[in-house]
Amino acid sequence: MILDLHTHSIKSDDGRAKVRNYCQWIRTRGIPIDGFVLTEHRQFDFDSDYSELARKHELVILKGAEVETEYGHVLVFGVTEGLYECFDFTRIGLRLEEVIEHCNAHNAIAAPCHPGRPRVGMSAHLEEHGVPKGVRIVEIHNGGSRADEDAVAAAMAEELGYLGIGGSDSHIVSHIGRCATEFPFPVHTEAELVEALRAEQFRAIPRAS
Amino acid sequence: MAEQEAVDQDILDLREQFLNREFDEVTFEIDGARFAEYAKVCGETAPRFIDRNNPDFQAPPTYVSTLVGGRSMPPDFPNLGGMGMDAGKSVQWKAPVRDGATLTGRSHLHDIYTKTGRSGRMVFLVTRMELYDEAGTHVANADTRTVIRERIQR
Amino acid sequence: MSTVKTIADVEFGGELPSFKPDTSIDATRRFGKYVGWDSPRFTDHEGARKEGLPGAIVPGVMSQGFLGAMIHRWAPDAEIVAIDTIFRAPVLVDQPHSITGVVTDVDEDASTVEIDITVTNEAGETRVFGTATAKLPNG
Repeated sequence: MILDLHTHSIKSDDGRAKVRNYCQWIRTRGIPIDGFVLTEHRQFDFDSDYSELARKHELVILKGAEVETEYGHVLVFGVTEGLYECFDFTRIGLRLEEVIEHCNAHNAIAAPCHPGRPRVGMSAHLEEHGVPKGVRIVEIHNGGSRADEDAVAAAMAEELGYLGIGGSDSHIVSHIGRCATEFPFPVHTEAELVEALRAEQFRAIPRAS
Repeated sequence: MAEQEAVDQDILDLREQFLNREFDEVTFEIDGARFAEYAKVCGETAPRFIDRNNPDFQAPPTYVSTLVGGRSMPPDFPNLGGMGMDAGKSVQWKAPVRDGATLTGRSHLHDIYTKTGRSGRMVFLVTRMELYDEAGTHVANADTRTVIRERIQR
Repeated sequence: MSTVKTIADVEFGGELPSFKPDTSIDATRRFGKYVGWDSPRFTDHEGARKEGLPGAIVPGVMSQGFLGAMIHRWAPDAEIVAIDTIFRAPVLVDQPHSITGVVTDVDEDASTVEIDITVTNEAGETRVFGTATAKLPNG
């Protein structure tokens, strides 16, 4: 099963894609993914219900978040109301290690995204802050990467022994599925996604050249 | 966390003080020769944008993004200490802008928000210029998103 | 080049003809002369380098104009009612870029289409992207 683990809709301040258009696009263009995770910036969208869209298009639509820490941006999978009360998702400059600790306590997973990117990626902050505790997974293929950003991410992951995931980081409809993550078994819920990530059996799929 | 909350409180204060408060009004005399050149250099080929003799001669919708007001920020807006960069532009087009028209542009801050940057906070300021013709018809909105990279105070 | 005349000609997922904008220094100088934005960062490579840039860059308002032109080349009678452009990275002068566009929503009742537009350099990197809503004549 292949999921795009990093997407944004119009719920994000810089997102321009409607979720129904993502679904139409995937099916019309034959994008080789089985679903996607909406990781809106600095929030978790408890309100939207995409189950009807998911059924109609036979896609898995899950929800996560992209929060901001001193190490840059971080994807959070498995957000619950309990986790949401632990720290303020809207704040920038959260402490990564605290985010990871809270995620671990609530059976969620925090994964730094586009870590090879200047300013908002983890590798740019290692010299200043050192290697953070608790990171296990990072995004090594990001659909919005430029130049050698993915190579920097992959090198960092290899050096520090991290596992890699992939996501498009799409903000507009036509960018969805540019990168993704393949799992060896079905994933239909946020809890199953966390379980699959914890099982550490997945493969990041790079952008097709 | 308390320090972070205190930092972000300044953005809430800026929003409270400045959002939707008009700070600039300026008049533009629309010159067809100028917008036709704009259209050509951007690659427009439709006659209504490049041919002054076309009965529907008008400015391309994106042309209003080139109209610059008397000031880009309220005069009493604080200096955030970083260099402003153009992060994006958007246009909402409502009616054609014709050669010889006199437009009035009224500007206000439409949004203020933040994101993380490597060397500090990035503050995004969305300035909206609302454009009206002589008859008072609202012809377009032109938004400019400016990002200011602050430096962390140590 | 294939063009569309009415909303009935448009299909979800359809691609607009690719467009190669004129990003030459002559073009940015013309833009500077007639429209504004005549700072050295747009019109002179050496002047731009003095400002810390890798070379002269295309003004954002000019890139936005490219996107509008692309839509009109595809649908000459389209009225662009909204266009939103996000500048992700500079568009460097005298370097080839291409613009692609795809239809991502069709509302036949409102007679409007939504289009994703992306400006990429030769390395395939997204430099500018945006969305536009265009109104087309009814079929």
